[in-house]
Amino acid sequence: MNGSIHPPPPTPGPGRLAGLALRMLLDTPMKSLGTLIGVVVSVFLMAQQASLLGGILGRVTSLVGKSGVDIWIASAATESTDATDTIPASKVGAAAGTPGVAWAAPVVQGFGKVTRPDGVRELVKVLGVEAPRYAGLPRTLAPGTSLASLRGSGRILLNLKDRPAFAMARPGDRVEVEGRATFVAGFYEGVDPHSPYYYVFANLDDARALTAFPPDRITYAAVGVAAGEDPRAVRARLQARFPDALVRTREELSAMEERYFLVRTPVGLVFGLGSVVAALVGAAIVAVTLYSTAIDRARDYGTLKAIGASRRDLLSLLLAQAWIFAAAGYAAGMAAFLVVRAHLPQLPMVVSPHLVAGVALAATLSCTLASLAAIRRVLKLDPAVVFRS
Amino acid sequence: MTSYSQPPEVVLAGRGIGKCYGEGPLASRALHPTDIEIRRGEVLVLMGPSGSGKTTLLSLLGLVLTPTEGEVLVGGWSAARASADELARLRQRRLGFVFQQFNLLPSLTAVENVAVPLLLGGVAWPEREARAARALELVGMGDRRQARPRQLSGGQQQRVAIARALVNDAPVLLCDEPTASLDGETGRGVLDTLGRLARAGRAVVVVTHDERVRAIADRLLQVVDGRVVPAEVPGVAHSANAAPPLAPTHRRMT
Repeated sequence: MNGSIHPPPPTPGPGRLAGLALRMLLDTPMKSLGTLIGVVVSVFLMAQQASLLGGILGRVTSLVGKSGVDIWIASAATESTDATDTIPASKVGAAAGTPGVAWAAPVVQGFGKVTRPDGVRELVKVLGVEAPRYAGLPRTLAPGTSLASLRGSGRILLNLKDRPAFAMARPGDRVEVEGRATFVAGFYEGVDPHSPYYYVFANLDDARALTAFPPDRITYAAVGVAAGEDPRAVRARLQARFPDALVRTREELSAMEERYFLVRTPVGLVFGLGSVVAALVGAAIVAVTLYSTAIDRARDYGTLKAIGASRRDLLSLLLAQAWIFAAAGYAAGMAAFLVVRAHLPQLPMVVSPHLVAGVALAATLSCTLASLAAIRRVLKLDPAVVFRS
Repeated sequence: MTSYSQPPEVVLAGRGIGKCYGEGPLASRALHPTDIEIRRGEVLVLMGPSGSGKTTLLSLLGLVLTPTEGEVLVGGWSAARASADELARLRQRRLGFVFQQFNLLPSLTAVENVAVPLLLGGVAWPEREARAARALELVGMGDRRQARPRQLSGGQQQRVAIARALVNDAPVLLCDEPTASLDGETGRGVLDTLGRLARAGRAVVVVTHDERVRAIADRLLQVVDGRVVPAEVPGVAHSANAAPPLAPTHRRMT
């Protein structure tokens, strides 16, 4: 056909047909409301599952990432900070003498049982750090706590979040670890365990005593890189010096921790699959509704075809309907998630720009994919259906 | 697209158009190859028993069915090789449809329903509203523009549907049983409207069982077993009721 005879009109996009799309949805309010609820639930679950996963992964890497240590040296048999072995304490001195290293310090970790004031005994990971640097200690200490607080025998730092479990413990309170008396010296923040145990920081020798740790062994050699040095270059030097050990920068060990938890534990599967299932459930609900509506309204779509709607018009109309569900469902679902999150601060639900954008993208994508069957159905519709009474 | 030499008053034509469903021994012939012309200012009525092929003929002329033989000429231009979207554009600009069941979108008001073809054509709302309101005035529905279809009687809905068919100034109205769902008086009102539109210069094609439609017919064709035959219209000479053959010139657009 020649364009000069019938110049193409300005093609209406989904935006121009959005009003018509919305009116068609409102024509079947109960069906549309049911679909919207499905999308809201889907968005809520996606956001909740993904934020929990993000929060747990943040906890998984918090010990490594929030201690001010640039490079970690550990046993070659290390898979994560929970699955590691010991190394000779002599590696600390050798590491300190490596070019590019500003300092090196020992860190030990071991598990024990802590007795809460109510008598309940729970698992605790005791981390021993060495004065005066206390390398490996969380960088953020609670107000009123300083590095000096830990100086002295039998002192420990508790997580500020764990105060309620220890009867709102205060500095000077007595806490039993492995049957030995320790005293609360203060609190730290920002480093949380991902598993049901407590982190307790103590002086190196106390930690050895509390966990029966061998005196000539350590768990990590914590290394600080000299100013101006590239941590990766220093890490390579250290790795060359200690071929029998695992040497990783802070970022590398964090990534290793994340991988371990995503692959070797059900964490990734449970929460990742939860997000995917939520997206699929939302998509399925929207797909069923749009498809059944396309069948119910075959005469309307046939009429639109007969009176001049192009394939692109119909595509735009159905996409607009899908995106209306996505936009409204996202707004309501995300709002519901944020309200629930605000009321459950104890759950590690992290909201990041990536999560906000990712869930929006997933909702849009799932609703778009959900509209494909309806689009196919409508595009294949015989417009002659309008002549059948 | 090929154009054909034909009288200027011919706004829509079928040149040997026929329709067969299926293939081989299972093939079912719905319409035998037929020549037909629709002229400006006339009411052409297609009558015949159910299943005779008259709605198939209307669907072919309306470009909603593709003929298995022949071609449809819209304003002298063949639609034979037009794409689906080009056919949609032709339907939107050159043809207006009136259906037995009105086929108004229930969620839209009368004026919004009438404006749908303009929306599809990319016309902005203030102009859409003004043109749709004018079309409603033309069919005597100017005072019900904000009513929804469920608030209108069958006759009123049909007049809104006629306004929708008119709103793009389409030169041809194709009406499928426009009075079948209406009572006697309401049906007569709709027929009066269609007659007035033809006298104003539009070509109106009506497929119907309704004998009352004869009253507004300028030409009457009977469709029987997929064949189109002229029938007599009271007061109209038989020769005027026949369609002359078309002369192809095979002129092509550049």
